[in-house]
Amino acid sequence: MTHMHIPDFVLPVWLWVSGFVVMAAALGLSLLQLRSMDKKKKIPLLGAISAAMIVAMSLEILPIAYHINLSVVAGILLGPALGFVAAFIVNLMLALMGHGGVSVIGLNTILLGLEAVLGHTFFSLLRRVLPVFWRAAAATVLTFVSTTTLLIGIVAASNVDPLRFLHADEHRLAVQEGPVLISKFAVLVLSFGVVGWIIEAAITGAVVKFISQVKPDLLSHRLHDSPDQGRVAGNGQ
Amino acid sequence: MIDVAKVDYWAASGTGPFQRASIIAKLGFLLLVLAAALAAKNPYALALGYIILLLIAAAARLPWLRMMGLSLYAAVFTVLYIVSLRGGMTAHAVLIVKAITPALAVLMLIVSTPYPRIFSVLSAVLPEILAAGLFMTYRTLFILLDMMDNFVAAIRLRGGFSPGSLYKNSANISKGIGMLLVRAVERSSRLYAVMVVRGYSGSMAEQGPVKLHREDWLPLGTGMAVLLLVILWR
Repeated sequence: MTHMHIPDFVLPVWLWVSGFVVMAAALGLSLLQLRSMDKKKKIPLLGAISAAMIVAMSLEILPIAYHINLSVVAGILLGPALGFVAAFIVNLMLALMGHGGVSVIGLNTILLGLEAVLGHTFFSLLRRVLPVFWRAAAATVLTFVSTTTLLIGIVAASNVDPLRFLHADEHRLAVQEGPVLISKFAVLVLSFGVVGWIIEAAITGAVVKFISQVKPDLLSHRLHDSPDQGRVAGNGQ
Repeated sequence: MIDVAKVDYWAASGTGPFQRASIIAKLGFLLLVLAAALAAKNPYALALGYIILLLIAAAARLPWLRMMGLSLYAAVFTVLYIVSLRGGMTAHAVLIVKAITPALAVLMLIVSTPYPRIFSVLSAVLPEILAAGLFMTYRTLFILLDMMDNFVAAIRLRGGFSPGSLYKNSANISKGIGMLLVRAVERSSRLYAVMVVRGYSGSMAEQGPVKLHREDWLPLGTGMAVLLLVILWR
């Protein structure tokens, strides 16, 4: 549930505009890091993984309406900078398919991009502690705990001024109705989320383990290697 | 689930007036509807705007019934958000029509415009890595969908799905996703190499000046009508 399905203009303007601003800054930083990457190698990888994420997100697991994200897989295979770019591409294409709003592309990219960045970070940090399957699974759970908390934080922040959606008459009605029900939202998201985290962790662990056995070079995401340097490094191993 | 291949087929094969309109006019239409949703305070005005969009879609021979179903999908997720909000029925109705009307406008754009035309406009404004990434994602998506169909058939034929055996099924599906990823990367790399050999240099922006055509009155007029309706009926 870390990818927000909130459609257009449901959130307050200041929140989704801030989302676009933060997303633009993070994308700018990522692109700055990717200036001298080996495009011939990385752009097809970016395309393949972004496409896999879109396919995964199109498949819902009933009855909990959860879909796998593969965002941690993207972070592990692409690295943080390219993983963030993949998150932007996926959200833009999903919005163009009517899955998620255009106005929340910024916030969704921050959430999904953060999953890629954190997934990569946790996977790297646990390098010497756990075998590949459990490392990827643990990285997924830790990542999703963090980003789901952020998601609840975003919705809580949006509740600061929900009255801007309403007419003047309804402003009074809303005030009389009592406190913001963010706890209800948090309970819903967390209860479905835990099931989702377990499914995602199992799939991420198995996928990363499979890739480490079949094509381990995909797990090294050095950005600036030229093809010649890659061959030399491969021979050295 | 949104059938990406079917959406692409509608976009590429349709010959209605919406398909004939220029991409600039359709993007203008989308912006006008988004502005209307942003400005809306009255659920009835935007709900009428939604009905107008549906009527135009039906008149323009777009798959309006499927589009309506897909746009209502946005309402399901709005309800999840609404439970955390204060406010009465009217406020909740505003949020629901704010969700489904732009979703329908986006669907009208994508079922009437092939993706490469949308990307050609985007690549004129986006950095090279993003434009190339978008294009490669689009191309690889169809390769991946095709491979996934073959994978599902193969795993069924070889007894990979065992009813009741959650562990075995999950392990097979995860390995299948891993294999699809590896093969998608290989095929995507070959595709990119072929494109580079044929002269692709990271840009696919359309050449020539942007002009409006006679057919553009339909999307632009529809967008303006919805926006005016929302502004006048506050």
